[in-house]
Amino acid sequence: MQANDGKSNLAIGFLTVIDCPEQGLFGGYLVLNQLSRPLEFHCTTPIKPTRAQQILYGPTLKPYLYGEQIGRVLAASAKTRPAAVFTDREPALALREFVDVPVVLVPEPENGPLEGGATDSIYRIDAAHPGPSRLTEFPLGPHRLMVPSWAIADREAVGATLGGIADTFDFREPFERIREAIEEARRGG
Amino acid sequence: MEGHDPSWPKTWTRRTASLPGHRASASESGPLNVASDYSVQGGVIAGGGEPSPIAVRSWHPAQAPDVIEENLALSVALFPTGWNRAVARQPEIKLVRPELASEAPRAVSVPIRHPAIRAKSFFFPDPALPVGSLPETPHASPKPAARTPDKPRTRTRLKPPADVIKLADRLRYVLQPSLETLLESRALTFPFAPFAYQWEGVAFLYPRQTAILADEMGLGKTMQAITALRLLLHAGEVRRVLLICPKPLVANWQREFHVWAPEIPLLVIEGDQARRRWQWELPDVPVKLANYELLHRDREVLEGSQGPGTDFDLVILDESQRIKNRLSATSQAASVIRRRRVWAMTGTPIENSPEDLVGIFDFLMPGYLTPAMAPRRMGRAVGDYVLRRTKDQVLTELPPKLFRDAELELAPSQRETYKLAEEEGVLRLTALGDSITIQHVFELVLRLKQICNFDPVTGESSKLERLEADLEEVAASGRKALVFSQWVDTLQRLRERLQRFGPLEFHGKIPPRQREAVLRQFREDADCRVLLISYGAGGVGLNLQFASYVFLFDRWWNPAIEDQAINRAHRIGTSGPVTVTRFLVVDTIEERIDRILQEKRELFDTVFASGLGPRPKIGLTQQQIFSLFELKCPGPTDSAADPRHQAA
Repeated sequence: MQANDGKSNLAIGFLTVIDCPEQGLFGGYLVLNQLSRPLEFHCTTPIKPTRAQQILYGPTLKPYLYGEQIGRVLAASAKTRPAAVFTDREPALALREFVDVPVVLVPEPENGPLEGGATDSIYRIDAAHPGPSRLTEFPLGPHRLMVPSWAIADREAVGATLGGIADTFDFREPFERIREAIEEARRGG
Repeated sequence: MEGHDPSWPKTWTRRTASLPGHRASASESGPLNVASDYSVQGGVIAGGGEPSPIAVRSWHPAQAPDVIEENLALSVALFPTGWNRAVARQPEIKLVRPELASEAPRAVSVPIRHPAIRAKSFFFPDPALPVGSLPETPHASPKPAARTPDKPRTRTRLKPPADVIKLADRLRYVLQPSLETLLESRALTFPFAPFAYQWEGVAFLYPRQTAILADEMGLGKTMQAITALRLLLHAGEVRRVLLICPKPLVANWQREFHVWAPEIPLLVIEGDQARRRWQWELPDVPVKLANYELLHRDREVLEGSQGPGTDFDLVILDESQRIKNRLSATSQAASVIRRRRVWAMTGTPIENSPEDLVGIFDFLMPGYLTPAMAPRRMGRAVGDYVLRRTKDQVLTELPPKLFRDAELELAPSQRETYKLAEEEGVLRLTALGDSITIQHVFELVLRLKQICNFDPVTGESSKLERLEADLEEVAASGRKALVFSQWVDTLQRLRERLQRFGPLEFHGKIPPRQREAVLRQFREDADCRVLLISYGAGGVGLNLQFASYVFLFDRWWNPAIEDQAINRAHRIGTSGPVTVTRFLVVDTIEERIDRILQEKRELFDTVFASGLGPRPKIGLTQQQIFSLFELKCPGPTDSAADPRHQAA
């Protein structure tokens, strides 16, 4: 990722992973400018975890595949450094450990309206007992977003760089484009 | 005795009867040390001798007491435990030497391979700054209104055309934001919210190099084309656009541009030849607007100039049926325009036969279609390039269009004149023998049709009588009407006779600069109830949806032209049903032509009900025109005849 030139050339990354039962996991990464127009698109060849990986990685398999493997490769392929990377897949937040830009979760809208402050309602289902919250929710304009709790400072960074466009920018719609593009790429071989 | 069972008593006490003089043995009190005081012999405790009962004697001082002997000896039985021996026995120590050296444990390694992931990358040019800055729209708000993210919105996405093969090119379209987002991001607004099908029309045009927007009249083709080119200009994908339309529609296009794309400068090519040449060669004009007639006159400029001013990224042909004849001067002039994208707009891509479509495509994609192609194959070939919607399909809420055919009898003087003219005309045509041409027949047809409108001598007209009666009702209800004729002379006569309805004229003899004023007056002046329009001048492009009635005073040769005329009133914005009255004089040439028109209308409906499926080649052929008078066609020809140029 190269340096973002500034707000006039603001770039925003969108990362998602599609699970196709037949072929495996496809990753897609779209970089948009502030007008929501595409600058770059990267997609991965499909991968399928082995049975041994499923056993050995256990509940950490998805973060490993989504964030560490797919997300990392895609982010490394991009030439433009985004102000932040948005994802609609919680395991992909694991990418944050490998990149120096905020990685933000755009939760499903049916999760309900933002009620303010940090949330403590999301836990790993495999945890032996409820622990501290792993995600911190925060508002950005009319949107509700989440960052890993250990990277809580990202909230301020995201607000500072993207707060100006938050009212008009749709942070969920680009994932639809990525899915269509991956489908187009699959059809095209 | 550490570690013994706590339930086991440490001492035993021997109980005895205590008698005077009786001395208890030393061992009678105190703890009994089993190990030291007793030895275990055959399981009986021996206390210094034979175990015997304790003797107790009763004693009385005066009397010798009776002695009662009670055996007080408590029988104590001990069970052998072997403790003493065990305690005495020397411990035996055995040495055990276990073998500590054993076989090394085996480790099973499960390799964890990291999946090999490859990424495909696609880069797109930064579209943030379009070439050539366009001024902001005066309607644009500085910042779009905030939106609610979870609220479902209409999203119209671009789809790559079928002829875009390369994956990178296809993705460029797939990855574009919705049209609504594109507009929002540019702070571009509309005066009215477009219909969903209009968004789809824009999404159809936007990515296409070649396209025909063939929506039925009144569905807003102009708005769709303007919006699509507006987006392309703002995205920097096109820099110079040329719009070509019929001359009567130039003012209409200007008006529509002002409404739908007010920020885009529009240059109308007009004036004398020197001025037009200068206008053509201006390089930095986003949109130029020319009419077909000028195109023919300025062909030399278009052909000779090599500057950027005559090199267009996009050419839009409105009413593109004007170039359906590939050999016409207009079509030939259009062919010299340097262009990359071409969009054609027409409500009637097929007026007479599939050859019309071949002619239009000859400009769009030369050689792509040929007249020899089977209709089914042609339909498949153009499928991705043509978008056709009808009002029935997309505007279910549009008020209905009510037809009523007014079948009239000729007035007595008209009948007499008509009969005489037909007989003389047929005799004259017959006398021409083999030298007869289609022009001769047309002349007679037109003559008879004019008599059906008005008796040339007396001015009598059964149509006018009926029209006056109908207009009384229209005026009484506070509504307005359009009256179409193919003759300016007829329209002028009507104006004289319809003065009480405040008639206005709109035809080729009205100077173009006055036409806007005429339309404005008709729209705004409550006393102007009737607009008299010629098919040629008012058939296309006008928005007269405030008129509730349409009268076809005489009939055109082609049902598509009549539909265009009707749809001046029956279009978006119509607030109520539109009543269409088609005048037809029975037992005349009009009735005979109507039969052919009806067949053509059925053909048109058939074609667009099934795309471009198989259908016979039907048109108003020369043979059919000759047959109107039961004349024999002199030459073997089957080409469709369009006598439109005969009209005044």
